[in-house]
This record gives sequence, C-alpha cells and structure tokens, in this order.
Amino acid sequence: MRWISHLDLKRTLERAIRRAEIPIQLTQGHNPHPKLSFGPPLPVGATGDAELMAMHLAEPVDPEEIKERLNRQLPPGLEIVEIWSLPPHRRKETFGDIDIAEYYIAIGGLAAPPDLDERVRKLLSSEEVIVQRGGERPERTVDLRPFILGVEVAKTEAKEVILRARLCTGSHGGARPQEIVQLLGLTDDDAVVRYHRSGVYAEVEVASKKPGMWRRWSRSRSGRGRS
Amino acid sequence: MKDSEFDVLLSRVQKPARYTDGEWNALHKDRALARARVALVYPDVYEVGMSHLGLHILYHILNSHPDYLAERAYAPWSDMEEQMRLHGIPLASLESRTPLRDFDLIGITLPYELTYTNILNALDLANVPVRAIDRTDDDPLVIGGGPGAVNPEPIAQFFDGVFIGEAEDAIIEIAEAATARGRTQALEALAAISGMYVPSLYKPTYGEGPRGTLTPLDGAPARIERRIVDNLDAAPFPTRQIVPFVESVHSRITLEIMRGCARGCRFCQAGAVYRPRRQRKLETLLRQAEQAVAATGHDEISLLAFTSVDHSEIENLTSELVDRFGCRGIGVALPSLRADAFSVSLANTIQRVRKTGLTFAPEAGTERLRRVIRKQLKEDDLFAAADAAFASGWTRIKLYFMIGLPTETDEDVKAIGDLIHRLLRFGRGALGSNKGRLQIAVSVANFVPKPYTPFQWTAQDAREELKRKHRILQDALRSRAIKLSWSDPDASALEAAICRGDRRIGRVIETAWQYGAKFDSWSEQFSFDRWEKAFRENELAIDDYANANLEYDDPLVWDHISCGVGRAALRAEAERAFDGESD
Repeated sequence: MRWISHLDLKRTLERAIRRAEIPIQLTQGHNPHPKLSFGPPLPVGATGDAELMAMHLAEPVDPEEIKERLNRQLPPGLEIVEIWSLPPHRRKETFGDIDIAEYYIAIGGLAAPPDLDERVRKLLSSEEVIVQRGGERPERTVDLRPFILGVEVAKTEAKEVILRARLCTGSHGGARPQEIVQLLGLTDDDAVVRYHRSGVYAEVEVASKKPGMWRRWSRSRSGRGRS
Repeated sequence: MKDSEFDVLLSRVQKPARYTDGEWNALHKDRALARARVALVYPDVYEVGMSHLGLHILYHILNSHPDYLAERAYAPWSDMEEQMRLHGIPLASLESRTPLRDFDLIGITLPYELTYTNILNALDLANVPVRAIDRTDDDPLVIGGGPGAVNPEPIAQFFDGVFIGEAEDAIIEIAEAATARGRTQALEALAAISGMYVPSLYKPTYGEGPRGTLTPLDGAPARIERRIVDNLDAAPFPTRQIVPFVESVHSRITLEIMRGCARGCRFCQAGAVYRPRRQRKLETLLRQAEQAVAATGHDEISLLAFTSVDHSEIENLTSELVDRFGCRGIGVALPSLRADAFSVSLANTIQRVRKTGLTFAPEAGTERLRRVIRKQLKEDDLFAAADAAFASGWTRIKLYFMIGLPTETDEDVKAIGDLIHRLLRFGRGALGSNKGRLQIAVSVANFVPKPYTPFQWTAQDAREELKRKHRILQDALRSRAIKLSWSDPDASALEAAICRGDRRIGRVIETAWQYGAKFDSWSEQFSFDRWEKAFRENELAIDDYANANLEYDDPLVWDHISCGVGRAALRAEAERAFDGESD
C-alpha cells in the first residue's frame, strides 16, 4: 500500500467511497468525481498514521458510520483511524494551511556512526543549510535551515538508526526527510531507509526554532492512516 | 524472499505498485487445497495486462473452482528486471510471490505478435526452459492462448500446448490435465482436449516464406478446430473485477456485451475467427453492471464488443445504465462506434454523465477502396455523424485509417487528406464561433495481411512504400486543427512476418530476444536493426514473409488450424474484393 502514488491513492479512496455508498458530493463540470481534498501527499514508499482527507457530503451521515462502512471497503494497509465533522466555518477550506510534518526515519543496514549526535548538533546549530534542488539540472539553491524545526536521534541499535524530524512542508517551503538523511551523511548503497509520517499540523503562531523543543499548535481535521 | 528484501527492490524501481499484492478483489487461495495451480501471465507490463479482459475471465473461472487456484504475473519493466537478474530473483506471482516454476501450469496470453519476445523473456526470468523440448518433469506445463493463437507456428516451439479459441469451458479441462503425474501423461491429457494444439505432435515441411505444411504424427488430428462458447449469455463472467493500483488508461468496469461481428470487413481477422456473433441479454448485462459497480467502485462502465452499436438492445442498455448510475457519477463508455447519426445519438445519451470521445473508422479514403475492403461506410453517413456531433457540442473527433490496403493507389491515399480537409471545412461551418476549438485526430495504421481473412494471400506493401505514403499524408495534413499519428512501417512489417510466420520465424524471435529485444510494441524499445540482424543470422528475409504474394492453392503454415471459415469461402471473398464488389 505504501508503494502507490498519491494519485493512485486518491483513486483507491474514491472507489472505496463508491463501494461503501457514502453520499458524497460530486464535482461539477465535464468529469464529475467525488469531492475530496487531501493534506500534503506522502512520498512513494513512505507510511503515515495521521494523514488527512476531507470528504464533502451531499447529506448528513453519522461520522462513525462512515468510518465503519469505509473501513470495510479499504484494501489492506489503508485504514480510517479517526473521523470528525468539520465545523461550518471550516468547510470551505482545504488543507492549504498545513505546514508542519513530523517524521520517524528508520535507517537500517547501517551501523550508527559514533559522531551521530555531533552531526545532528552541527546541523541544528548552522546558520544556513544550502542544498541544490531540481534533479539533473540543479535549478536552484535553497537554504533549508528555516524549514528544519527539529531533529533528534530517537534510537540507535546495532544495525539501525531511528531519527525523529519535525520539518516545514507546504506552499511556503519545506525540507524533505530524504534531505535530512543526506545532510547527516547517512546514505549508503546498502542502507534501507523507511520514512513514517506521524503527524501533520498547521502552525497558528510563529514557533521558536530552538532544537529539542516541540510545540504543537493545532491538530487538524478528519483523519485516515496507513500502515 | 523476505518482505524487507523485496522492499529494497521496490524502492529502486519506477511504479513499484506494479509488483505488489493487495489489490481489491485479488484472490488468495490456499495452495495446499488446490490440485492444480495455474499462473496466468500477460506478456506486457502490469498496467497493460490489467486491461485485458480474457485473463480476468480465466482467473475468475479457475479460482471459483474448489480444486484449482490461479494467480497472476506480468512482464517486469526493465528496471525491475535488472534488479531481478542481479539478485537472482525469479519471476513470481503477484498474489503470493510464488515463483512461476512452482506452479503446475503457466498460461500465457498471446495478445499479438510484437509481445512474443516478452513471452520468451518471462519464461527465462522464471527459470523455465524457453524451448518446450528442453523441459522435464520438474518444469511446469506452458500453455498459450488468445488472439495470436490462430497462427501458433511462430511460437509453437516454446509452448507445450496452444489453445485455439475461447477458453471459458476448456480452462477447467486444461487445469485438470496439469494434475497428471509427469510430462508425458500431461501432454497426452492436453492432446485430448478439443481445441488444443500440441506442437510437438506436428512436423513441419517448408517452402518459401509462409508456404508449408504441418504433418501430424502418432494419430494427432489433421486439423485442430477452434473452440467457441455457444451460449455467451450463460458463460461465466467476473463482476468482482480486480481493481488495479497502477493505471495506464482510465480503469473501468468492462462488460462484454457481444462477441463476434457480422460486418465482414475483409481485412479483419478478429471478425473472421470469433464468428458467429453472439450477444448477452439486456437483463444479464444490467445485473452484471449492478454487481460490478458494487464490487469495484469504478466510475465508468465500458461496453465491450467489436461493434457495440450492433447489439440489438444497445439503445435500451445505454439509457438504462445512464438512468441507473448516472446520478452517482458513473458513466458509460462505448469504445466502438459506427459512423452514423444513430451512434452519435447514443453518444449523446452517454454525455449526460461524462463527456466521451467520438471515434470513427472509415479506414479508406475513397468509396471504391472501401468497397474492396468491404467497409460499409458511406461518406454521407460520416458527414451526418459529424453534423450530429458538432450540433451536440463535440469539437473533437478521432478517425482511424489504414494505408497499404490491397488495390490502393496514391489517389486513394490523397483522398484521405481530401476527406479530412472537407470535414474540417464542414466542421468550421457547423461550429460557427466555436470553430477555433475544432480538432480532428487522424490515426493511420498499416495494412497487415492476416491469416483467415480474404486478404491472407496478399502481400503487404513494401516498407519504403508505406513510408512514402505516410509522407503524402504528413504533407497533406499539416494544420493546427489536425493531430496526425501513424504506425511505424518497420514494426508493421515485423508484425506481418510474424503473423504469417512459422517455426523458422520462431528461431528469429529467439535470436532477437537473445540480442535484447523486448517490449517491441513500445516504440521507444523497438529496434528494427536488431530484428534485421536476427533475420540475417537465421538466413531468412523479412520480405519473404511480409511481402509474399501467395497463390490460392499454396499450402500455408496455418492450414492445420481451423477457425470456422474455410479456404474456399475466403477465396471467393478475395475474388469479389478484387472485382470491386462489396457484396
């Protein structure tokens, strides 16, 4: 399930919604399809247990019933974990204001470098963290430092390192968990990296960038998760 | 192979969901309870294979039977293949990652000629000897079937058996044959199945090109009769269709409303070998639609037939489906329309849910040539259809043509260009202020002389001729309002050589594959040079097969297969064609 693209995931959910006969609003225009909106897409290969989707219903239905009916139609690896109704003043919004994502990054097949804590400290105390983005034709250089809200080593074992990272995401810019792995020098041909997103948030006030301080400002809408 | 190791592979390839399990409606039966385990293989990439209805029908029939089990496999794309060969990972089924070698039977679809190198590649990736003669008791049986089976000779040496015709009834018999102990008994059991061709029981003698004879040994039948399903309405049909994760075209429910075609176009092999025309009843189709919608959640129902508008209840069917499902955003697609106003009115009904494309197939540019190929399309009807289309709000239509048709002259080719321009002028007039949005898509294929058609004796145009004719059209159809696409004459020549081919062509296919040929139907993967080299090394010429003009009484390498239409009837049709008669 984690290997499908966001577009394929969207279609999978649309079909499950149809099978569950959930009375969802259809979009207008040439190609009517269920009215759904999503939080930021997960990269292919990543898992998440707090992903977001909003459904616009054509008639009121008890959320718990929707959750039950929909979960029966979801393929293995996809599950609604929490559902709630949006208050009226929130109904026009999509998830445009989501701008923080929290990840667990498990790097397996690699012994933890002895200076790992030092590398993290160095990253977080840098003024600037410059990377190239754009693939083969590096389009632009970006300073990632303002988008790295926190990184810490959650666990190290003989052949595995688990990091926790809190990164900005969304239209005002962000850092990608893959970039954190690279910046810490933890890439290796033999290493297997798994990304798990444990939460997405909207920042209502400006957060301080002190490393190690996690501030949770607001938790958003209806949820679905995947393993 | 551990899940974590598999995950590493998946992280290194494009579209990893091509190779993972977990699709809605995929079936996982207990291996231990099955007396025969069948791997159904489509020799192309997952997204292409998933849109082939035949495999889904057989999957459903086998898995519905308590004694048998069926799982699927598709050709891995080159990036996955590279990883597999690097790490010694054999081709395995999607559902349980069981290596194909561990199945009792591997059933491979023969969709069409340019997929044949993928078949060899799949067998090789499965660690099954590519040539049937090299297989032992430890190897699974390898059976083929599908549209390409009507001339099985090019791939005959790679298969233990090739099934000719419609397999809904036979697939159970084939699975039962795979429960036999040992190869010899299994092959005997296969040979006893009506419609099954066992190539090892036939010895070829060859003339030049497609001329030759296959002589039966040991009491094998002189001719293998294709098998068809008499009662299509009662035939099993999967409504719980597997819902793919990865799609190349818009995924949807497919309902087979009709099989066979009564139009009798002379270039069409499918129309010839799937006779007689049979249809499913309205009530059956509506019931299947309800079940499929509930079981899949797709937003479109496609009505599959060679000419869907020929179904006797097509109007009622279309409007019923739109009435029942339209309000839920579920549309109907009619992939094959006739060029007349009736079809457009049907398309209008469909439009109420979702906009659909309009595609017509005039095939030839002049009335004269259409009479020769027996394409019953009058220009007046085409313009009436266009008129109805533009009046209903369509601004785009797609037209299919073929060049290299028998008796074709440059005038016929230029007439295509002329017709398109007249349509454009007409369209601009009809659309008025909207005329800027007018778009005509023109798709031009190359004629291939197919076995079992009246044109089976006719040579294909030389490749250079086809290229020259395409250039005529490219010059004639330069316009922003025209989108022209055409088939590669080199690929079409190869298609012709293979569809008229024999086991010598089979050796060419093997050589080409050894040189790296695969996914030949993908234009960016196709290398004609590689094929020319393969022909040379086998001391054969592509022209001897594709461009051979055959005599009516030449023995042909597909004569031992009977597809319901006899040589005398085909010859009579051919003579009528060349006399310019359409009837």
